Amino acid sequence: MAEANLHQSALSWGPNNGHRLLNTRLPRVDFPHKTTGTADYSYDVNVPGMLHGRLLISPYAHARIVSIDVTAARKIPGVRAVTVRNGPGGTLRFEGDPVAAVAADTAEIADDAIHAIDVKYDVLPFVVTADDAVKPGAPAVFTGDRRVEGNIRPASRSGNERDVEDALRSADAVVEAEYRTPILHHACLETHAVVVDYRGGDSATVYCATQGTFSIVGDAARALGPKVQESNVVGIVHYMGGGFGSKGGIGIEGGMACALSKQVSRPVKMALPRRDEFLMGGNGPGSWHKMRAGATRDGQLVAIHTIQYGMGGIGGGRLASQPYVYHADHVYLEQSSIHTNEDASRPLRAPGHPQACFAMESLMDELAYKIGMDPVEFRIRNLGDDGDHIRQLQRGAQEIGWVRRSQTPGATPGPVKRGFGCACGQWGGGGGPQCVVTVAIAPNGAVSVSCGTQDLGTGTRTYMVAIVAEELGLEMHDVKEHIGDSRLGRANFSGGSSTTGSLSPAVKAAAVNAKAELARYVAPLLKAQPGDLIFADRKVSANGTSLTWQQACAALSPAGLSVRGEWVPGLNSGGTHGACFAEVEVDTETGHVQVLRMLDVQDCGLPLNRLAVESQINGGMVQGIGVALLEGRVMDANLGVMVNSSFMDYKIPGCLEMPREMLPLIDDGDGRQQVVGVGEPPSIPPAAAIANAIYNACGVRCRELPITPDKILMALNPKA
Amino acid sequence: MDGAGDQNKPAVSRRGFLKGVGVAGVGALVAEYPLMAPGEAPATRPDASKGPISGNIDIVLNVNGKDRPVTVEPRTTLLNALRNNMQPAVTGPKLVCDMGTCGGCTVLLDDKAVYGCLTLAIDVVGRKITTVEGIGTPENLSPVQAAFGEHDAMMCGFCTDGFVTSITGLLKRNPNPSEEEVREACKGNFCRCGTYPRIFQAALSAARTQQGG
Repeated sequence: MAEANLHQSALSWGPNNGHRLLNTRLPRVDFPHKTTGTADYSYDVNVPGMLHGRLLISPYAHARIVSIDVTAARKIPGVRAVTVRNGPGGTLRFEGDPVAAVAADTAEIADDAIHAIDVKYDVLPFVVTADDAVKPGAPAVFTGDRRVEGNIRPASRSGNERDVEDALRSADAVVEAEYRTPILHHACLETHAVVVDYRGGDSATVYCATQGTFSIVGDAARALGPKVQESNVVGIVHYMGGGFGSKGGIGIEGGMACALSKQVSRPVKMALPRRDEFLMGGNGPGSWHKMRAGATRDGQLVAIHTIQYGMGGIGGGRLASQPYVYHADHVYLEQSSIHTNEDASRPLRAPGHPQACFAMESLMDELAYKIGMDPVEFRIRNLGDDGDHIRQLQRGAQEIGWVRRSQTPGATPGPVKRGFGCACGQWGGGGGPQCVVTVAIAPNGAVSVSCGTQDLGTGTRTYMVAIVAEELGLEMHDVKEHIGDSRLGRANFSGGSSTTGSLSPAVKAAAVNAKAELARYVAPLLKAQPGDLIFADRKVSANGTSLTWQQACAALSPAGLSVRGEWVPGLNSGGTHGACFAEVEVDTETGHVQVLRMLDVQDCGLPLNRLAVESQINGGMVQGIGVALLEGRVMDANLGVMVNSSFMDYKIPGCLEMPREMLPLIDDGDGRQQVVGVGEPPSIPPAAAIANAIYNACGVRCRELPITPDKILMALNPKA
Repeated sequence: MDGAGDQNKPAVSRRGFLKGVGVAGVGALVAEYPLMAPGEAPATRPDASKGPISGNIDIVLNVNGKDRPVTVEPRTTLLNALRNNMQPAVTGPKLVCDMGTCGGCTVLLDDKAVYGCLTLAIDVVGRKITTVEGIGTPENLSPVQAAFGEHDAMMCGFCTDGFVTSITGLLKRNPNPSEEEVREACKGNFCRCGTYPRIFQAALSAARTQQGG
């Protein structure tokens, strides 16, 4: 093994255009299961004797529990266990805060039991909108927290305010505006789901829809303990129905499932109904940006002053910094959170970036129009030496046909107006030494690659197979993958687009090590040195002689070989750039917006699988359409409850919202021969690009998302 | 009928609602529940005219060409009967919104796409029920399933079973659809990962394959 490890010090992927499988278009290896109903999502797991769990959640935004009586619920035939999370005196801080849970023979009976729990609540003053939260005398979401004043929690402050004011006074054009985005929901189609297979004793298997296989075991052991130790818990995430940042660990619902399971020593499935998912299964923070920025007549951004609030309910709500991807000589930035009586925000695909991007890119557009400069040109002038974004803006402008754009908003004839808009995004990503991968080769030639990591739909399984198959000179179907099981090698949590950057180097290292190990056995048969063997076309060759893969593997001992690989530096990188362009049609009589064409240019170093990267970019654009036009949590300020906690009322993009043409463009101008995760970045600029296109089409600048028809009509007819 | 514990609670659950209608009303309510697609009432369907249907009922559902015995309540949806009550379970159709908005639970009822979450199990006794498992298997994929793979028309895959089923239903009644017709046929299905453009491509490609093109 020492010899094999020597190879790792010099690992590289080689030129991006020199791959046989990587950087090509690979159908995902698990598609035969995903298309036939045979992929076992945690939500689908049924084990013998399993009970169905259900949560009782708070109907109020803020309340104290006076009493709770579960007698009637327990009496319902088929109800097996009841657990109370918040007893008398307990405080509930948002609609959806879990109160109790039941487990019953069927989901229907569990539903009945929830309604049979008798809770008396003392309803307390609450606040559920940012506007109300910052009013003098507003009810305090947190009391006794000295860092919070008037529901505002200051986070950071940077820059010299006086310099900014001076620079703004000398600018040729100044725009002052407020931009807002609502609280959004991940809306994964698979809601949070966990099956706790515990039947008494000291061990358990826990199937969970989560973004971290290894986050299951600790959480479950704590909830099932002390008899059940972490080393005796198996965590499984074979398939995941979407995460987008909302799923970590087993969650409160998983903890309650463990409590129920422990009570009766029977397996319990806790899968959140859609309404619970909206209310306590995660949201991404809203945002409020108060901005002033100035530019010179020749298109230089000179100063920008920003006060920025994240609205993350009882949680924080960090936003990306301004002026986002652009440069200004003088920058002042204040960042804070505004608290409301709503569930704590969680990371949502590129946390904090789409919000900051929408505000900054709207502001850039306003300044460009004010000084009469082409918005693409104005952006390029303020990107400094950021050649990546400049290249992407130029390519995007050409591909969308930016020259067709009318320079005067609303100038196209007729009631249906066309317009173009653009925006830029950026993301960090990266990766590190967090994964252990095993490649095993059997004497009959069977090859497997395994790691406990999870595939959220990003295509993890497929690139694991591709890396190993390419290294060993095999085809995709020659290699079998195993993931999503905590008994396999450790792996990192999927967040921040860092899975691929952490995992793929470890897979490469394992494949290289396996190849070196196999070569030691095969070289004598070919009368060659191990380092001289060529692995290609399902053969191992040297000196003009070749063995089939099966013949070569027959040289192994009966135990075959099984070697590890860990992350090595140099194979991955961080830092991505993207630019999105949209062409829209706005019906000025109905306010309806249809995106006609859209493209998103995105760099990612070496694309492991072009087909999967393009799907990520498409997905970013589709979610951006939702953010721009459809989505947003709506709260009833008087009742403190969410008005649209269903897919009927919280509208996500569907087939009819899809543009006629969508171009997911991989930016091969990024010459890095390193892997960079690309799950989050393509979702950042699309909403801003659409908002800017709407302005270009009809002259309406909507500074608050989503841009629904009523907002457009009100702006077009302010007196109506 | 069990469930004595909730008799004095507000009638909010489906079960509570049935109780609220009164014992005599239950049978009528069940009998009058509209079928998703009109058809002959099969002989084996529980006879509601003899009085209320309540508690557990043993029925037989024809799923993917096999008669499958299953115990349900009158309120049990077809989706829950397939996923929870049947052993072994049929989990291709997914429970996502539980209110007929997302299409994750789409099944074919006599070859027509319907929402499993809006269909009562007892209403489809004797009907031909096809789930995604009955459309093809990993070893023997249908043209629609193969086209989804080729075009990468899925990411997380949780919506895929519903889309495959909807498109299979479309191609049964319209073997050569336009892209507009594909969009129309799938407008009741949601995909959160955003794979729509490739789903449309896959549907059109599958239609060409089935036509022998």
